Amino acid sequence: MRNVAIVAAGITKFGVREASWKDLVQEAGKAVFDDCPNLDKKEVDSLFVGASQPERWVYQTHVAPLVAELLGIDARRVISRTEVACASGQAAIRYAWLSIATGLSDVALVLGVEKMTTKFMNLSQTCMVNVGNREFDGPNGFTAPPFFAMVAQRHMLNYGTTKEQLAMIRVKNAKYGSLNPYAQFQKEVTVEKVLGSRMISPPLTLLDCSAMTDGAAAVILVSEERAKDLTDTPVWVLGGVQSVLHSHTVNQMGELSEWLGLRRAAQEFYSLTKLEPEKIDFAEVHDCFTISEIIEYEELGFCKKGEGGKFIEEGQSYIGGKIAVNPGGGLLSNGHPLGATGVRQAWEVVMQFRGEVPKERYVGGAKIAITHNLSGMAQLHHIMGYSIEKPKEVRFGR
Amino acid sequence: MRTIKLPDSIELPTILDPWDQQEPSGPDATGIYDFYKNLAKGELTTTKCKDCGKMNFPPGIICPNCLSDNLEWVRIPETGELYAFSVMALGVPMIIDTYAPFVVAIARFGEYPDDGVQISGIIFDSKYEELKIGDKVKWEVVEIQGPGEKKRYWYCFRKI
Ligand SMILES: [Zn+2]
Repeated sequence: MRNVAIVAAGITKFGVREASWKDLVQEAGKAVFDDCPNLDKKEVDSLFVGASQPERWVYQTHVAPLVAELLGIDARRVISRTEVACASGQAAIRYAWLSIATGLSDVALVLGVEKMTTKFMNLSQTCMVNVGNREFDGPNGFTAPPFFAMVAQRHMLNYGTTKEQLAMIRVKNAKYGSLNPYAQFQKEVTVEKVLGSRMISPPLTLLDCSAMTDGAAAVILVSEERAKDLTDTPVWVLGGVQSVLHSHTVNQMGELSEWLGLRRAAQEFYSLTKLEPEKIDFAEVHDCFTISEIIEYEELGFCKKGEGGKFIEEGQSYIGGKIAVNPGGGLLSNGHPLGATGVRQAWEVVMQFRGEVPKERYVGGAKIAITHNLSGMAQLHHIMGYSIEKPKEVRFGR
Repeated sequence: MRTIKLPDSIELPTILDPWDQQEPSGPDATGIYDFYKNLAKGELTTTKCKDCGKMNFPPGIICPNCLSDNLEWVRIPETGELYAFSVMALGVPMIIDTYAPFVVAIARFGEYPDDGVQISGIIFDSKYEELKIGDKVKWEVVEIQGPGEKKRYWYCFRKI
């Protein structure tokens, strides 16, 4: 078992891009290698591609070897594509970490990519029904917006969360997104603007929702031995967890305001890394909708269950508060190209630790960060931890 | 220069038809065809495990709780309670978008979770403003006509 570090990170502009899926791969691939001039790309022995639905959005499958070709990589240890919808990118990072930690791989490229905007947007949006149970929830039009709207409705009922508190999540993330030149949306908003924007699925308005987006991001992970030759600012992997509770169809979801899958993932994560919420300096979490971030505060232990609304209202998740959440602008500002999102979060961690972000969204002195992704209708959760200091021991679990 | 002439229009299979799996035999056969057969008779049913007693939804050919294949088809209790609801207006999946906007809901029927279900469904006959959590609802079967002569069945909810 050995320590693993991220030594390079690259990203494309996120948004409605006049660029093909392959363009995005080459753009992010070039960016990540440009970020690591001491690395000869011949050394990349493993390739992990996070991609959710290239089969439907660009009619292409078998994408890992295609990425290898597009970037001229002769990988020989692990060549893999991960698909867990919205968390496909973080899953790719997790498997790269495991592969290097166990000694199978030495140098791994992780590239997350999604091309979601097409000429046929109604077709593109129809694809989103497939992240739920297509046969049983699909015919009822069950996509993410009405589902998360119902989550918000239940959370409001059970805990008194308000629409204004939901809007405050967008206000915070739009503030930091306005300082992120790669984000899809770079305008600040007010609570009034969020509440007054077009109703999508009540109680969620347009600005309560993240967007369908084109984008790619990439990171390079290496073993401890290789890290020292490649960078002075390695970002060390503390560990990662995944958790699902036999849940895919609505029937298995129980009470929608309780995210038991995330609650268990958080328990696993804190036990694996020996961390506590108080030790985390900032978190990039999965704010696919404003309500998601509120529930994530609770289930990740940043505040008590039911007090997520109060947490944002008190400004505790701003830089300078109890814990900075989504200093990169989150999915709400960056947009959400499914396969790229988890890798974009890791990119943000690297840029923060290096201090290569604008001062107004820089979490100064940060030593420990986590990233969280949910996928689909919050059925599956991923958490990864990163440190600016090399971990004293490598831990997988018990 | 050689030319290749394409047909004036290209007909695609209705790959996005959300009800495309309801065949008793052939390449689109399903082991839970009784679910669709029962819908055609006006009954919303699912599989219940005779060994552990768990009512499962969606139906399956085994019980995910205990992996037994000793199952029976049971009728889902007809009246239940509205658990959550919203509206589907934008980004509605194709084909379903022909009747948008509509109320989409989750309702609980029977003794959820062990001897009952929590399922999604559309409410056609009520507006969002007319509904509240806890309202009594019932399921009813919907006939889906087309394409062409084809007739299939699904279910929706109605406020009582
Ligand atoms: Zn059973």
